[in-house]
Amino acid sequence: MNKKIRVLVAKPGLDGHDRGALVISQALRDYGMEVIYTGLRQTPQQIVAAAVQEDVDAIGLSCLSGAHNELFPEVMALLKERGAGDIIVVGGGVIPWEDIPFLESAGVQKIFTPGTPTIETAKFIEAAVRARDGYPASIGMEPPKKIDHIGIAVESLDEVLPFYVNTLGLKLEAIEEVPSQNVKVAFIKIGESRLELLEPLSEESPIRQFITKRGQGVHHVALGVEGISERIGELKNAGIKMIQEEPVKGAGGASIAFIHPSSAHKVLFELCDKTEIEGGAS
Amino acid sequence: MIKHQERVKKWKLATEKSMQRFPERKERFETSSKFEISRLYGAEQENYDIEKLGLPGEYPYTRGIQPTMYRARYWTMRQYAGFGSAEETNKRFRYLLQQGQTGLSVAFDLPTQIGYDSDHSMSKGEVGKVGVAIDSLEDMEALLREIPLDQVSTSMTINAPASVLLAMYIVVAEKQGISPETISGTIQNDILKEYIARGTYIFPPKPSMRLITDIFAYCKEQVPKWNTISISGYHIREAGANAVQELAFTIANGKAYVDAAIEAGLNIDDFAPRLAFFFNAHNQFFEEVAKFRAARRIWAKLMKDTYGARNPKSWQLRFHTQTGGSTLTAQQPDNNIVRVTLQALAAVMGGTQSLHTNSRDEALALPTEDSARIALRTQQIIAHESGVADTVDPLAGSYFVEHLTDVMEEEVGKYLEKIESLGGAVAAVEQGYMQREIHHTAYETQKAIEKGEEIIVGMNSYTLENEVRPELLRVDPTLGEKQKEKLTRLRNSRDQDRASARLEALRLGAKGTENLMPLIVDCVRDYCTIGEICGILREEFGEYTGV
Repeated sequence: MNKKIRVLVAKPGLDGHDRGALVISQALRDYGMEVIYTGLRQTPQQIVAAAVQEDVDAIGLSCLSGAHNELFPEVMALLKERGAGDIIVVGGGVIPWEDIPFLESAGVQKIFTPGTPTIETAKFIEAAVRARDGYPASIGMEPPKKIDHIGIAVESLDEVLPFYVNTLGLKLEAIEEVPSQNVKVAFIKIGESRLELLEPLSEESPIRQFITKRGQGVHHVALGVEGISERIGELKNAGIKMIQEEPVKGAGGASIAFIHPSSAHKVLFELCDKTEIEGGAS
Repeated sequence: MIKHQERVKKWKLATEKSMQRFPERKERFETSSKFEISRLYGAEQENYDIEKLGLPGEYPYTRGIQPTMYRARYWTMRQYAGFGSAEETNKRFRYLLQQGQTGLSVAFDLPTQIGYDSDHSMSKGEVGKVGVAIDSLEDMEALLREIPLDQVSTSMTINAPASVLLAMYIVVAEKQGISPETISGTIQNDILKEYIARGTYIFPPKPSMRLITDIFAYCKEQVPKWNTISISGYHIREAGANAVQELAFTIANGKAYVDAAIEAGLNIDDFAPRLAFFFNAHNQFFEEVAKFRAARRIWAKLMKDTYGARNPKSWQLRFHTQTGGSTLTAQQPDNNIVRVTLQALAAVMGGTQSLHTNSRDEALALPTEDSARIALRTQQIIAHESGVADTVDPLAGSYFVEHLTDVMEEEVGKYLEKIESLGGAVAAVEQGYMQREIHHTAYETQKAIEKGEEIIVGMNSYTLENEVRPELLRVDPTLGEKQKEKLTRLRNSRDQDRASARLEALRLGAKGTENLMPLIVDCVRDYCTIGEICGILREEFGEYTGV
């Protein structure tokens, strides 16, 4: 499995817009794949011939002329004809959403719309090729960046805040109610991370249940990640059970999801993605 | 002045002190071309060298090519349009003219741009998709039906087969009873940037340059009001270049055309006044304004001082602007209206002669009629409501803008020297130099966006989870078949012997050195198709296959 993945980046159709094709070629190379770029104006026949000749694992089709509905299915049909139906095919370009189901039903594995980060495309191709070859799609997740915060369950914010603010001299940033979790949260800044003090607002609140069962104290550790949806996918692929399988909105507008403690040796971990609110690599 | 310097010193100290508590957002601020941007301009500047700017309508035209600019007449609002059949596009054109548009701009489909008939095997799936399908004079007649060619100017985005489309336009005018001397418009006809960035080339550079200079010579005599080329930075920028690369490579290409025409025996003042330019307008407002102003100054100096042109018209860089297609996002497409507004404003502040504003949905498909109307309205609001058109070159004298204009000129100069050292633009293109430079910048930009160093609102930040998907324009999928039938009918009904004789005459001409334009006009008049004409030239000239 140390063999490099080989990809043919191809431009079917007559348009000359190869900025995307060139950028994705470079990005896949930087990711560690071998990439062959066909150049402009390739017929489906030429593309399939090149793919077979070069023995590639995957083909990336880029078309900005609007001819994708004719040309992509033709590539798929020719691949099958040549006995190369196991080559993973993905596509991109100016492709209207409503055409995507048709193209995917023709056998294209995924259409990437404008604005997709190149890393996402690279990971998709990698996972698809691994799955095809019978390997687990992924061996782990991209590591979390930092401890975003530590969540502490408390009976009453008013009671405990003086300890944090006056005794420890930490800075209280904000107090916010998170209706989805029935809690009131105080954020306390400490270095690059935070303490989150969680006070239950009702009997249904998970924090109330936690306190009833185990008393006040450390509730969860939040790991700062980027690209939370992909991270969740990676964990699930690695057999980890999630409490939320899709990210939900947490305090401060972050996207969050909890890992089930049964999968994490009894510790409650939260994944927390603030790229959107803090604008990028924070 | 001394007193002022003292004040500046104090201000600097105080500012640095306050920055310890309120640091700036970034270590280094820069433009798209990586020019560093200082905290403040002008504090230490002496009076600006007014000679360097000149006055509007005067050499070196930093401040614009006309003395009154938009106080006399607004820029031409020229929306690029075309899709499907000639009949459908004709309808869109008449709609746009009715809505107050003042010039036409024709988008051709890719088979037309690459010289294939609609029934050629390479045309599969492409007929009528990104523009209108034109196979023969018959289609051109339908495209221009009931449009008074002596009153509108028409811009045609056509390059490798530019002579064929120009020939068709001339013959349609004749048939409307209008003399070629009175028609006006532009053909893009800029093959070098096709090799660099846009990709619709057919022939190798040498015969391509011949076709271009043939057009220069022919139009000088027959179609004197026609802009024979639109030297385009637009696509270079779209392919990933930054502002300085856009301008530098465009000017370098411009020089190559001038050199080729002089070598073909033309007098500079006989063709230079008909050269036009076409630039992009991206989001970095001040840098874009500076780019347009620097462009005029660089070209004026080049034409007057380096080439010795005498006619002031030869010194004037006239340009069309289109807002930046690659800046548009597929996500939250309505945000694109705001981007387009900023970009259009930069073009107007930079003194453009004509402008195309993109539609909000162009990252998704061809624009719908609603989107195309909003795009035109954007220009009309800038013209009629903002007041920016009421004085000439309103940003002149801004310390920042003048500084950027100077830096732009300097940096373009460096690129021009580099290209000169490679043997000029044609040689640089053949070596892939510009292509590599552009790709490098494109990749850097992509990485910056993915790292979040460059924020694209709605795409890598401020995103929405459940986006509403707008309605998109669909092109008639049966058009390819209809065009094929039309061609079969045409080939059966035209005078075949005449058509064949015309094509043979063109072949002979292509083997020799005579001007090919009159031969192409003859072919077109007798309904030879674009595929047949370009087919003959392909056989004689060969095809370009990329670096």
